[in-house]
Amino acid sequence: MDSVSDGSAVRSSKDDDARGDESKKPRTGPITFYKQVVAELRKVVWPTQPQLVTYFIVVMVFVLVMMVLVSLLDLGFGQLVYEIFTTTGE
Amino acid sequence: MLGAFANAFRTPDLRRKLLFVLGVVVIFRLGSQIPSPGVHVDNVQTCLNRIEDQGLYTLINLFSGGALLQLSIFALGIMPYITASIILQLLVVVIPRLELLKKEGQSGQAKITQYTRYLTLALAVLQATGIVALARSRQLLQDCDQPLLHDENSTATFLVMVITMTAGTAVIMWLGELITDRGIGNGMSILIFCQVVATFPASLWAVRQSQGWGTFAIVMAIGLALVAAVIFIEQAQRRIPVQYARRMVGRKMFGGSSTYIPLKVNQAGIIPVIFASSLLYLPAMAAQFNATSDSAWVRWINEHFVQGDHPLYMAVYFSLIIFFTYFYVSITFNPKEIADNMKKYGGFIPGIRAGKPTEDYLSYVLSRITLPGALYLGLISLVPLIAFALIGANQNFPFGGTSILIMVGVALDTVKQIESQLQQRNYEGFLR
Repeated sequence: MDSVSDGSAVRSSKDDDARGDESKKPRTGPITFYKQVVAELRKVVWPTQPQLVTYFIVVMVFVLVMMVLVSLLDLGFGQLVYEIFTTTGE
Repeated sequence: MLGAFANAFRTPDLRRKLLFVLGVVVIFRLGSQIPSPGVHVDNVQTCLNRIEDQGLYTLINLFSGGALLQLSIFALGIMPYITASIILQLLVVVIPRLELLKKEGQSGQAKITQYTRYLTLALAVLQATGIVALARSRQLLQDCDQPLLHDENSTATFLVMVITMTAGTAVIMWLGELITDRGIGNGMSILIFCQVVATFPASLWAVRQSQGWGTFAIVMAIGLALVAAVIFIEQAQRRIPVQYARRMVGRKMFGGSSTYIPLKVNQAGIIPVIFASSLLYLPAMAAQFNATSDSAWVRWINEHFVQGDHPLYMAVYFSLIIFFTYFYVSITFNPKEIADNMKKYGGFIPGIRAGKPTEDYLSYVLSRITLPGALYLGLISLVPLIAFALIGANQNFPFGGTSILIMVGVALDTVKQIESQLQQRNYEGFLR
């Protein structure tokens, strides 16, 4: 019992930033949680515009190349299968 | 830019990996076109052409890459494997014996993979039986009264077809694992990427045909905007600074550097979306197997879960995505392990003590930053459904957001892996 209270006291006195030890305390309310989420979101590093443009182009190139490749394969194999497996008599 | 692609093919080991992946894709597409034994190809083609305009089967077709309705040997696609791995990952949390196995490390993980494979085969047998039974009773393609099989009453044909499709699923599973092992990227995501990409142009074109150029242009604009939005959020990071203490080992100085732990806003990637949509795909499938029966639950599912624009469907989809995002982040990112590693190498987050407080801080930030990530995944998957419902194109475009998320996510992942391989050889990558 003694050690538990001691541990939590040590932790909370050490750092104001480590609010993670709130799991021991009563649960975080939705409003506090929302505020904390917003606070964390402010620290997020968002991509810059040139980065966004390069990624956009690269992704589009990749997707288009794969799309063309898969479509051509499907057309080719589909035609082939149709030639082989359909009966000409009908 | 194109120089980077050329460099990718100039590097010997990278070239081997890329060609390997492309080869697997070729085999995968070939298998998706070869019909199972006993299928009457003439009639299937005629029927498929007839229903193409109605856009009724797009939901199921999207996830099989068009293979399911053709009754090909790869008809089931990668879906049974994905479903099986979801089920196992959920079970690991629930069943203590599996949890023990997971903690065992390498050998336990191998055992879990083995269980996943068995479960995949069991699911494949189930689905194959359902599909073949449907094809036999001419229920698979509605409004089509021609026989899809050469001999509908033969038990031998039935068995051979089920065995073939199950074997096909096993081959796909193997191909996926081969890509993960010897190629680039995650095999499961690359194969589902191929399935989505295979049906994407056709469904876009269907929008053009049924709604005209105006709607087509709007759909394209929304699609491109979504791609940009997805890239924007996927690249966003919360960087947690880490300092490494300087220390002398013998006569050398070590450490003293400062880096950061990058926590992505969407740490889970696209896996939650794949999980949620493949779970939601199950009731639609079950309803289709029982299409003949007029029982209440089949009607209920058809009403609420087959069309993507029902509010209940959207709500369930949204909450499933949020659940799976938190779930997947919690099983892939282990704050305790990272905190321990940092402690071992003398690293610390400025202002926070090593060990337990660091672990607490990491999970604090992670759980806060995952909420916007989860909401973003859910919204991106839903926005197109709503938008397309407004302009009346939803019939031909179910899972619009899901397919965009899968395509962009897999493309980003794969390109980044190629990039890091290029940088190992000091080539300038795509992304500068």
